[in-house]
Amino acid sequence: MNILSFDSRQCERTRRQMDAYLSNELLVETTGEVLKHLENCKACSDELESRTRLREALLRAAAKRLPPEDLRDAIHQRLKEAQRGLPWAFGAPTWTLAFAALALVVIAGAVGQQWLQYQRGRQMVARVLALGVSDHAQCAIKGHNYPEIAQSRDQLRQKLGSQYAGLLPAVEGRLPGFQVLEAHICSVPGSPRKYVHFIARGQGTILSVILTKREGESLPSGRFLATRAPGGVDLYRAQLEGFSVAGFEVPDYFGFVVSGLGQNEMVKLAASLAPAVRNALSGSIGTEKAAAPALLITSVTIGSDPEF
Amino acid sequence: MLFRPRIHAADFEAAAMPHLADLYRSASFLIRDSSEAEDLVQEVYMEAWKSFHRFEPGTNCRAWLFKIMFHRLHHLRRRLIKASKVEAFTRPGDEDNLLAEPPVPQEIRDGDILLALEKVPLEFREVVLMADVEEFSYKEIAATLRIPLGTVMSRLSRGRKLLRGELAEVAKSYGIQPRTREASDGESA
Repeated sequence: MNILSFDSRQCERTRRQMDAYLSNELLVETTGEVLKHLENCKACSDELESRTRLREALLRAAAKRLPPEDLRDAIHQRLKEAQRGLPWAFGAPTWTLAFAALALVVIAGAVGQQWLQYQRGRQMVARVLALGVSDHAQCAIKGHNYPEIAQSRDQLRQKLGSQYAGLLPAVEGRLPGFQVLEAHICSVPGSPRKYVHFIARGQGTILSVILTKREGESLPSGRFLATRAPGGVDLYRAQLEGFSVAGFEVPDYFGFVVSGLGQNEMVKLAASLAPAVRNALSGSIGTEKAAAPALLITSVTIGSDPEF
Repeated sequence: MLFRPRIHAADFEAAAMPHLADLYRSASFLIRDSSEAEDLVQEVYMEAWKSFHRFEPGTNCRAWLFKIMFHRLHHLRRRLIKASKVEAFTRPGDEDNLLAEPPVPQEIRDGDILLALEKVPLEFREVVLMADVEEFSYKEIAATLRIPLGTVMSRLSRGRKLLRGELAEVAKSYGIQPRTREASDGESA
């Protein structure tokens, strides 16, 4: 065997290629060149033998490093849990997940829509009932537009006019414990809206029964109802500005019963009044025409206005 | 694709579980704490299970599992390095003279070489493991570790040399005199 100089260029080149040779990563031609040099160079041959021995020793020693016996079981257990816990996440068809996502969006949209409708409904009820409270507060409480002694029935009928005079017995008859002191048609300055106003006294307080044109507005049904009066009239209630109000809706009119008493009391009175008012209105003034109003109040003036 | 392929546990079992010993072996040489190595292997299998629908049947499942393992390992290492709890990659200085190879003892004991391996910096150890223990190709190592092919080659060369140097140190501590080049030359002369 010829021994070449240790630092010869060929030795250096072979040493550089030795790692790739050991890993079997050399091209066939290069491998041939390396083998040819190794045949003629003991130093490089010994070096390759050392490196091979080292590599084999490492492989042999590492092969003895085995996993703990329970590792396989632990992995199986976790895989089983994963299969049980989230079967849909791994094996479910794509369309199933897409459908689930779409369903969530639809549900969220529907819930959002419901919530918006609820909020709108709640605002609508409050806005309408606030009319009755405002009328009561402005005319009866702040304006004190009622006499200490009740006016005669004739005077009241005259103030109400022929269109609304028929309401007087219906109201008086449905307010046990109250005396009707005043009845008139009120108009709201700056607004075309007018309302029929009955002012009564009883149980230590002043109570108003108010009727105003709906002008196409309507109270929402469903969860906003306080109760349903005999005859199918829906009743609503609220506590606004320190007053309790119960409202109802009859053809063409909103009706309100307002006082400082409790809400339940107002609802009871409204439940009794509503069917009677409805009957009275349909009998006497069902076909009358009124001026176009808006459901907005600024202030109240009083007067007799049989044209309402 | 309208339907995601349904994963059958039996398919996963058949493709992935035979490589458990290989994964654990490499993990145990990369993470010194054996229980952490076990945890790492478990996590590799859980992740593989979750993404098994992306695995193409017929391709190299073993390489795919190792890729997952090194991805997790590097992620873990980056996190822990910030907390200074694990060894960081070290970069030895310029390449030594390739011809100045440390001598290899005639008798190499298993414990010695594994001890020597543990002393090789992680950056080189993982390439040596992949090439010499797990016998992956350069191309597979480059793909698994996400490094260029040239880097695989240089790290492997450097890693083997470092291993050899560490082994010589371990042998020396036991009083074993490695065969020197001069002796070798003398024998051949």
